[in-house]
Amino acid sequence: MQKVLTGNQSAAWGAMCAKAQVVSAYPITPQTTIIEELADIVAKGLLDAKFIKVESEHSAMAGCIGAQAAGARTFTATSSQGLALMHELLHWAALARLPVVMANVNRAMAPGWSIWTDQNDSLAQRDTGWLQFYCESNQEVLDTTIQAYKIAEAVNLPVMLILDAFFLSHTYEAVDIPGQEATSKYLPPYKPSIYLNVDDPHAFGGIVPQDIYMEFRYKMQLAMDEALIAADKADDDFKAMFGRGYGVVEEYRLDGADYVLVTSGTVTSTTRTVIDDLQEKGHSVGLLKMKMLRPFPAEKVRKILSGRKRVAVLDRNISVGMGGVWSQEIRSVMYHLPEDQRPPIYDYIVGLGGRDVTPEFIEEIALDLEKRPVKDCDQVWIGLKE
Amino acid sequence: MRALPHLKQFTEVAEQEIMHSGHVACPGCGAAIAMRLALKTLGRRTIIVFPACCWAVIDGPFPYSACSVPVFQVAFETASISAGAIRAGLDITGKKDINVVAWAGDGGTFDIGFGQLSACAERNDNIIYVCYDNEAYMNTGIQRSSATPWGSWTTTTPGTDFKKERKKNLLEIMAAHRIPYAATTTVAYPDDLIRKFRKAMSIDGFKLIHIFSPCPPGHKALEKDSILESRYAVESRVFPLYEVEHGTHYKLSMDPPQRPVRDYLALQGRFKHLTDEQRDFIQKSTDEEWARLMHFMKVSEAVE
Amino acid sequence: MSQKPIIYKSWRELPLMTASMGDTTVNKTGSWRNVEPHHVEQVAPCSLRCPAGNDVVGFVTLAAAGKLEEAWHLLAETTPFPGTCGRVCPHPCETECNRDHLGGAINIHSVERYIADYFMDKPPEQKPGTFSGKHVAVIGSGPAGLSCAYHLKRFGHAATVFEAHSKAGGMLRVGIPDYRLPPEVLDAEIRRIIDLGVEIITGSRVGKDVSFDQLVHKFDAVFAAVGFTNSRPLGAEGDDGDDVVPGIEVLRKINLGMDDGVGNKPLVVGGGNTAMDVARSLLRKGKDVSVIYRRTRYEMPAIAEEIDELLAEGIEITFLATPVEVLRENGKMTGVKCIRMKLGEPDASGRRRPVPIEGSEYVIEADCVITAIGETTDLEFLPDDIRAKTSWNIPADELGRTAFDKLYAGGDVADGAGTVTAAIGYGRRAAIAIDAAFRGKPVADNAAMSPSLRERTGYAIPFEEINTAYFEDLPRSEPGSLKVSERIKTLDEVHQGFSEADLEKEAKRCFSCGTCPACDNCYIFCPDAAISKVKDDKNKLYLVDIEYCKGCGICAAECPRGCIVMKAVR
Repeated sequence: MQKVLTGNQSAAWGAMCAKAQVVSAYPITPQTTIIEELADIVAKGLLDAKFIKVESEHSAMAGCIGAQAAGARTFTATSSQGLALMHELLHWAALARLPVVMANVNRAMAPGWSIWTDQNDSLAQRDTGWLQFYCESNQEVLDTTIQAYKIAEAVNLPVMLILDAFFLSHTYEAVDIPGQEATSKYLPPYKPSIYLNVDDPHAFGGIVPQDIYMEFRYKMQLAMDEALIAADKADDDFKAMFGRGYGVVEEYRLDGADYVLVTSGTVTSTTRTVIDDLQEKGHSVGLLKMKMLRPFPAEKVRKILSGRKRVAVLDRNISVGMGGVWSQEIRSVMYHLPEDQRPPIYDYIVGLGGRDVTPEFIEEIALDLEKRPVKDCDQVWIGLKE
Repeated sequence: MRALPHLKQFTEVAEQEIMHSGHVACPGCGAAIAMRLALKTLGRRTIIVFPACCWAVIDGPFPYSACSVPVFQVAFETASISAGAIRAGLDITGKKDINVVAWAGDGGTFDIGFGQLSACAERNDNIIYVCYDNEAYMNTGIQRSSATPWGSWTTTTPGTDFKKERKKNLLEIMAAHRIPYAATTTVAYPDDLIRKFRKAMSIDGFKLIHIFSPCPPGHKALEKDSILESRYAVESRVFPLYEVEHGTHYKLSMDPPQRPVRDYLALQGRFKHLTDEQRDFIQKSTDEEWARLMHFMKVSEAVE
Repeated sequence: MSQKPIIYKSWRELPLMTASMGDTTVNKTGSWRNVEPHHVEQVAPCSLRCPAGNDVVGFVTLAAAGKLEEAWHLLAETTPFPGTCGRVCPHPCETECNRDHLGGAINIHSVERYIADYFMDKPPEQKPGTFSGKHVAVIGSGPAGLSCAYHLKRFGHAATVFEAHSKAGGMLRVGIPDYRLPPEVLDAEIRRIIDLGVEIITGSRVGKDVSFDQLVHKFDAVFAAVGFTNSRPLGAEGDDGDDVVPGIEVLRKINLGMDDGVGNKPLVVGGGNTAMDVARSLLRKGKDVSVIYRRTRYEMPAIAEEIDELLAEGIEITFLATPVEVLRENGKMTGVKCIRMKLGEPDASGRRRPVPIEGSEYVIEADCVITAIGETTDLEFLPDDIRAKTSWNIPADELGRTAFDKLYAGGDVADGAGTVTAAIGYGRRAAIAIDAAFRGKPVADNAAMSPSLRERTGYAIPFEEINTAYFEDLPRSEPGSLKVSERIKTLDEVHQGFSEADLEKEAKRCFSCGTCPACDNCYIFCPDAAISKVKDDKNKLYLVDIEYCKGCGICAAECPRGCIVMKAVR
């Protein structure tokens, strides 16, 4: 079934297809229409779910945690300040090994108030133990929502799927809605092995002595390792069933390319057209789309980028005092390669606070990359009013 | 060795023992008594939610638990929503006849979890919210909370800087939410406590039970005096036992002969610095609060 | 069953998340404590003070539970005379009762009387002990003698009681007026003793009808309980006439339905129970009776209630005066010259000695004098060799053992205590001693030794150990009594018994000091679930699990009646 949906509606419809059982959510621009759509879906009886209309994002996540612990599949969505407010409970969900799925609409942090996109909100939650997937289109948002449950429940870790404010959240696209029967086949009902069960009582989350805490963290690391495989499998299975797949990374026109632009989110779509133009003009430049931040697909990235001449990472975020987060991540995984296989990696800060990342900016980056001195790897602020 | 039906025997206490020995509550802990009696009443089809509070520790370190019902430990401020969400999860997965109980201290209730508590009450989530109130942050070592009474010493209200603010009136706040059921009780009166839990179990929607829970180290009282202190709290009217149905109908649970507040204060080292005038002040404000409560009772009767 | 420790050696063994896999009983918190609770049975003041050795808390609490037959049997363990004691005992148990601080002492004697009266016509079946082959002669069928015979029978020994009078009962029969102890009550209780198998030979005076030596020869032991039989002389000039009569003689006549044989205006001399009894009996016979006592009301040895009732019935007592001469005209008494007294220094009894006030003589009009200034024993029945070694009494220890072969003694003839209940207790203790001698075992082995008798430590649980939070401040109940205007005309019993409702109300007021009635407070309030209820063990109601008890002491503090003590951990 084809429908014209916004990115936010796509997330809501994804949760519907996945048969989320408990929704616990709080509105925030630009996420609000996700939960409005879900409220509508639940009200119309299209989804048999309990919608807890909580009073804060903190409680939204607490609600997901509680319901998930009771054995229900849960969904929530938030953005920016809301995600920051949840921070404590992001850790909680992950350490409690609860496969909660959440959509986060990337929005810049205040103050001053900004409702427009950048990735600082979600990247700041990098270390909470959540899987993170950055989406490029409304179809990908919907499909990733369904896949997220498949992966989360396979490894018992929560998953955050991320979409850009307005560029996706409020932009309509034609979206294919997978059939309910096929979706149910792809994603069977949630059946946790251990949960709040009066017939098999356990106490969850008691004090852990020093001599055993590390082992639980180690098990989470192992689960993240598993998630690398689970994510690929979930995508492969999805493709086999629905004819669409995305990969945790995507190579776009990279064959033989000396120069690589690395993107995430909606910047990717714009970059695709710029790459097309530049290749037509004879530039040896291709695109690496990063979809998954956690677990970081280190092997894949190393394989793709080794031996290239130069790499430009387009960071729609800034870890002030250091630089763009994606570039740090990529540099750190590339460090293991022999020096002759290791291209210089340049960090381009773009589109903070929702500023348009235009084809002109991206072309500027590609051209800059070709001529920038090797040693000058400092961050480059694109479009900065100097 | 003969059975004597003496005058004030507690007859409602169930045989089933759901709380295990070996928990790590301090000797004489009121909250441990409260839990034991509550679990005896609630039974095994119960899920308990602990936010950060003494009971988060009392229950025992991994891999052990003092409660033979499912326990879910949650973040400090989230007892209410967690319980409400567990209920939602049970409902949607078709699990019936289970008591979902949030079991929080006064910190998690009066302070850090207060917003969530209010929201949960407003949503009328079908849970029993229990606040075992020991009138300070005891788990972190006796710091003042908004449940700490006027005049009390704590480690953050030391010396002459004893607490100069009054205790929040939780029941009035909760009554203002017009929840189906709110009640105060305390460990010295097991039958009252049990009856209120039973009542809460029989009602759909948000139920709040506020348990005054003596804390020997925090109140600087003798371990053996926990029940005495609890009883004096009621007799002195510092902690009256009553119920509020639907937020408007007040009902006094018992009205023992009034005991001077001084008797209650005298059991506790946390009040030992108070002068006679200050003790009189507490007596006066206790009397005023009582008069106000009696007014509510009267209004309730008139409405009936 | 306690949890075994769970040890994880590898992350591979861990559950998915921090989920408990066992319970906290692994954690032996008992190591925290330095004091620990012990359930103990402590002696209640009522039981400690009961001269008969009754388990007062026991029968009162059984009555409270509606278990009247069990209460009756418990009383039967110590006394054959609950109906009598419930009426005539001055009840020191009530004087000591801790309830006195909260609404008034328990009306113990009325509870005892109710239990006895309930079964008076149809007492529950009682079986004597298996016959030992031993046979005891008991001299005197008063409370001490019959109590001893009754218990001997219970212990399995034969007992034959020799009674000089025509009817059994001793002082109970002849010394206590019917309005205090109706004869049918005494008859019923003696009937019970006979039904148990005790032989009573009436009209057989030892020393006359049968010799003491014969008894010693024929029986395995002799228990002498002849009581007080002689009245002390008045010691006034002219006291040797027929118109000066011993009070106990007058009482005997009245009690046996004979003519009292005294004039119309008797003056009763004395301040004890005999004085009260004889004065009130004569009042009921229509006599213009008055009493004279040489000290004040405060020093009167009579039971306070009896004095109150006598005064209420309109009998006048002249205090601080004593007869010095009986005045007669033509051999007929016209009056008694008396002298006024004042109180001097205390005498041996601790009471202030009355001293005559010189020149204060005056005359009280009277046509006869009844002496009731004390009674003494008559030991004429004893053979001379023994008689020579006795004084006014037969010296005996508290178990009735004397210095003479086979001879035991108890009751007034041994201690002169002067109350029915003391005599009953003495008789019982002597029976225990005789039984022990027969069996060649220590006295303490006898199961009949009640706690109060076993542990004569003098310690009874004080009021301070009662947790009054568990008891309501309810007033003592009093049964009704005949109106003065009615009772002075007849010998009908003055005091009525409890109604069923009164009994329940009153018995339930009992604190049950020191005796655990399984109220469960210790179990209910234990924060550590370390006290469990014991099923099917008569000797144990609760078990403290010392592996987990942290020694907080709440159980002891909340025990309503002092049945838990905290002791230092060894």
